[in-house]
Amino acid sequence: MDSSRISLRPFELSDADDFLTWARDDKVTRYLRWETITSKEEALMHIQQVAIPHPWRRSICLDDRSVGYISVRPESGNDRHRAHIGYAIGSDHWGLGIVTVAMKMAIPSVFEKFPFIVRLEALVEEENVGSQRVLEKVGFVKEGFLRKYGFNKGEIRDMLIYSFLRTDKIA
Amino acid sequence: MAENTAENHQKSSKITLRPIQLSDIDDFMVWATDDRVSQYCIWDTYTSKDQALDFIKNNAMPHPWFRVICVENRAVGSISVSPNSGNDSCRGELGYVLAYEHWGKGIATKAVKMVVSSIFREWPHLERLEAYVDANNKGSQRVLEKAGFIREAVLRKHRIIKGKSRDMVVFSIISSDQHLDS
Repeated sequence: MDSSRISLRPFELSDADDFLTWARDDKVTRYLRWETITSKEEALMHIQQVAIPHPWRRSICLDDRSVGYISVRPESGNDRHRAHIGYAIGSDHWGLGIVTVAMKMAIPSVFEKFPFIVRLEALVEEENVGSQRVLEKVGFVKEGFLRKYGFNKGEIRDMLIYSFLRTDKIA
Repeated sequence: MAENTAENHQKSSKITLRPIQLSDIDDFMVWATDDRVSQYCIWDTYTSKDQALDFIKNNAMPHPWFRVICVENRAVGSISVSPNSGNDSCRGELGYVLAYEHWGKGIATKAVKMVVSSIFREWPHLERLEAYVDANNKGSQRVLEKAGFIREAVLRKHRIIKGKSRDMVVFSIISSDQHLDS
């Protein structure tokens, strides 16, 4: 994969069709907190109401077309030095190293935009091996296994927790 | 699980948990004004009775689950479980604090065990009771280990305490862990 084909940018309404292509896929949204998008109308609404106003959400683009996203949300109040990072990519593009490249681009950009963030953390389910590999390749540290940590899609899940600090080095 | 020796040899010092009352204010001040006690806590050492009264009235009393830890019915510390909302409502966070003079006698461990034995019944939606302890706070880590919590991870720079980001050790006990324990 030629990494110069990969870029990050804010979402635009014109991404709706491309967004729908991957966001309608159960395999893609399986470990995400949000449900699959099922129509262009929903796609437009999601882009307008969720993606665009978000503190930091970027489309992962391949040849400038949206194939996935990375999202960073700082916690509030006393915990705003900490931010949660999440990501997904269309199943056609799994296993090509695209998310890894995109994350390596995203992280310095996030630390620059939010000078108070010291810690990025990611929660991953045990069976989501693909996502764990991304984090390890980027240089996240696996800190532990949190039992019955939170609900997702109606069930209480165990989660692996990973972190990347401002002082850590991209792998 | 074997009780620790200090508890076995302790004379009938009865440890109880009960809701806080305004009349506990003087006992509260004993631990709340002590730097040694607040060192690893999110809160800063209290400096006035008004501040303490405000906390008791507006924070401790309306809290979903807050108790004072009593020895012979005098408050020597407090213990609380804070619930989460929405997708995180299966988790509650345990916190506790004990006056310095009562450290090292197994009191906190006893209080934590008392909470564990009742909270899952009181809150049927609770699956996970967790606690976050400063990585340098070895005493508190021992309390949780003795009380049957599992040490799951060290979360780097997870919380800001006294203006600095700290590594926090996360411990948990799951509702199903208890059946292994009685």
